[in-house]
Amino acid sequence: MSVPNEDKMASHAQLSSHFFGDLLDSIIVDVASECHRIARLGLDRNLEEEEEELKLSAQARERVADPNNSGEANSKYVVDIFGQTHPPIASDIFECMNCHRPIMAGRFAPHLEKCMGKGRKARLKGTRSSTAAQNRHSRGSPVSTYPPYPNSTSTNQLSNGTSGVAGEEYSNGTFPES
Amino acid sequence: MSSRIDHHHLPINGQILPQPCPHLVEFRSRNGAKPFRALQDCLRVKPPGGHASIRREPNEVPRCGACGESGGVTRLYACLACAAVHCHAPPGPSHAAVHGESMSPGHEIAVDVDRAELFCCACRDQVYDRDFDAAVVLAQTAASTLHTPSSIVRSPHPENLRKRRRVDYRPWTPDPRERVLVGSCSSPLNATVLDSCSRDFPSGLRGLNNLGNTCFMNSVLQALLHTPPLRNYFLSDRHNRYYCQKKSTVVNNGSKSNAGNPTDSRICLACDMDEMFSAVFSGDRTPYSPAKFLYSWWQHAANLASYEQQDAHEFFISMLDGIHEKVEKDRRKTQSQGNGDCCVAHRVFSGILRSDVMCMACGFTSTTYDPCVDISLDLEPNQGGSAKMVSTKSNHSCNGEADHMNLSQNCGTSTLMGCLDRFTRPERLGSDQKFFCQQCQVRQESLKQMSIRKLPLVSCFHIKRFEHSSIRKMSRKVDRYLQFPFSLDMAPYLSSSILRSRFGNRYFPFDGDEPDASNKLSSEFELFAVVTHTGKLDAGHYVTYLRLSNQWYKCDDAWVTEVNESIVRAAQGYMMFYVQKVLYYKASEKRVVP
Repeated sequence: MSVPNEDKMASHAQLSSHFFGDLLDSIIVDVASECHRIARLGLDRNLEEEEEELKLSAQARERVADPNNSGEANSKYVVDIFGQTHPPIASDIFECMNCHRPIMAGRFAPHLEKCMGKGRKARLKGTRSSTAAQNRHSRGSPVSTYPPYPNSTSTNQLSNGTSGVAGEEYSNGTFPES
Repeated sequence: MSSRIDHHHLPINGQILPQPCPHLVEFRSRNGAKPFRALQDCLRVKPPGGHASIRREPNEVPRCGACGESGGVTRLYACLACAAVHCHAPPGPSHAAVHGESMSPGHEIAVDVDRAELFCCACRDQVYDRDFDAAVVLAQTAASTLHTPSSIVRSPHPENLRKRRRVDYRPWTPDPRERVLVGSCSSPLNATVLDSCSRDFPSGLRGLNNLGNTCFMNSVLQALLHTPPLRNYFLSDRHNRYYCQKKSTVVNNGSKSNAGNPTDSRICLACDMDEMFSAVFSGDRTPYSPAKFLYSWWQHAANLASYEQQDAHEFFISMLDGIHEKVEKDRRKTQSQGNGDCCVAHRVFSGILRSDVMCMACGFTSTTYDPCVDISLDLEPNQGGSAKMVSTKSNHSCNGEADHMNLSQNCGTSTLMGCLDRFTRPERLGSDQKFFCQQCQVRQESLKQMSIRKLPLVSCFHIKRFEHSSIRKMSRKVDRYLQFPFSLDMAPYLSSSILRSRFGNRYFPFDGDEPDASNKLSSEFELFAVVTHTGKLDAGHYVTYLRLSNQWYKCDDAWVTEVNESIVRAAQGYMMFYVQKVLYYKASEKRVVP
């Protein structure tokens, strides 16, 4: 009848429960034994130091997020620690080591690119168009139709394309996003 | 659990062996290490790479000789004197203790048959012995080697790991004759610029002009200008640009004309660095324009030479490569990057990574060593879910202080140590990546684990914040905050630690352990520079924070300002530079040229 079956199921359930309990106990003892060894052999990591660092970082983030705190001033418009101010585009003039013409510091890289015949713009002389600008913006994508040479294969670069459109070669992409 | 125990034996790599209980002492004096060696035949390791257990026959099912119990919370101990197996199940009966007492003296020491741990039945506690642990490790490693010297235990170092002996640091100051020599060939620097409060600023602090989207370069250069071993190298005139240029001109003129660019041999990134160090440390605080450097670098890295903003990490690698390449061309120096004999770039940044691939069928482990100049780390895949709390590896502390636990559990923050834990975690290679096992002679599923065999002088951690999906053909930047410590102990990621934990944390010298205790100090690092990126993928900005004399400075191209350390802690780190706290000096291989 149904009673012996129920008994059987009950004892099955008990048995599985018993085995499970044994397994679980055994695993707990494993962990206890490992911890004992780690503690006795002095292998514990410097928990306190790690916790301290975590706490300091959490506090720091709170402090920085607090609107009452004066945040980092946008340093382009401040006086530096030596008491100096600087124009947004570096205005020092020096001689280009390739063509020996005087060049302004903040415009040196775009100048050098053309001067050395490197980079896309130099090779694409005469093909300035909106498509060129489009491709510059999508520089992060794996397939780019313009560059005749392969870009570095590193997939972890934070490449920042130039801001601005085709005609503006000297746009300065150095201002931080606000 | 008690924590600190008095030293009794010489430590291995920071490990200590606790003082043995009197019963173990007596057992040892009576029997030596013989019983442990005899146990080796009974040591079984299943599955491959798993725990060791004690079984007289492979399929033996041990039971307590007194009551027949086995399993669960009941531990079974085999007496080392007579091999009788008894149970121990506190707070219940302990037939093991009864056995020890009744057969006393000589039967107090037993071994846990399922965990291969020694136990003192009189003290009712787990005890530890060096020779016993050695026997267990040797049994465990037998499976993973092909009857050849194991790379698990300390063995003669492969070529690129061979070390030179350590020597004591000897401070040097010029003697009168040298002082005259130095004075006659140089001129003193200008007095340091004082601000309105007449404070002194650290030397070498100087802004770098942005030459047009070159903040990626400026940020890395600032970190390098303040990398202590690199700074010391150049300021000690170890690479003299005048001498180097003169030499390469001679080489150039002397060699037959070739198809190569004749100016190539005169490009030397190290010379340009030398010039930059001189300029930046000169005392002049007006921003410096690293134009010559850019020019040289673009000639070296033609594929990266364009006006577009580049990736700072890519620049860093390219630059180190440029310094290395020049050295290779100059002399037939050893190519060995691992021990940094080739060039200053590798001397400072190069470490050695160890990669172990273990066959999951037989346990055979194949080991390779590769040099690396930095470590690129993935951010954890899911936010919040995989919160890195405190280390889950070797520590299961019973510290129940409420606020500590809450802090780590609730913040769900990614941390640098969490990334390093994941970097050194055993990783199952998928069934599509089966490795050829030399022992099985077929491709098998394997487990791979990385560890650091040799730490560099300066560790650069690069956080992979760029996610690239080739399926969706788009890329994005991961802005997630990553916590990084100001003081970092790399010991848990060393090969010796990783191996040790793989073999159950036995007291044994593993590959990479130093015979002296100095390893502990040499794994401690201090943060000195952080390169951060703000903004979007295609329009962003790099800035470097420098730590000089425990004050943090923000170097934003030409603008150098002081900042509170909170700003740095809260910043979005992209590359973090740590330097070894204590430097050791090694005997020079070649004779010093006067």
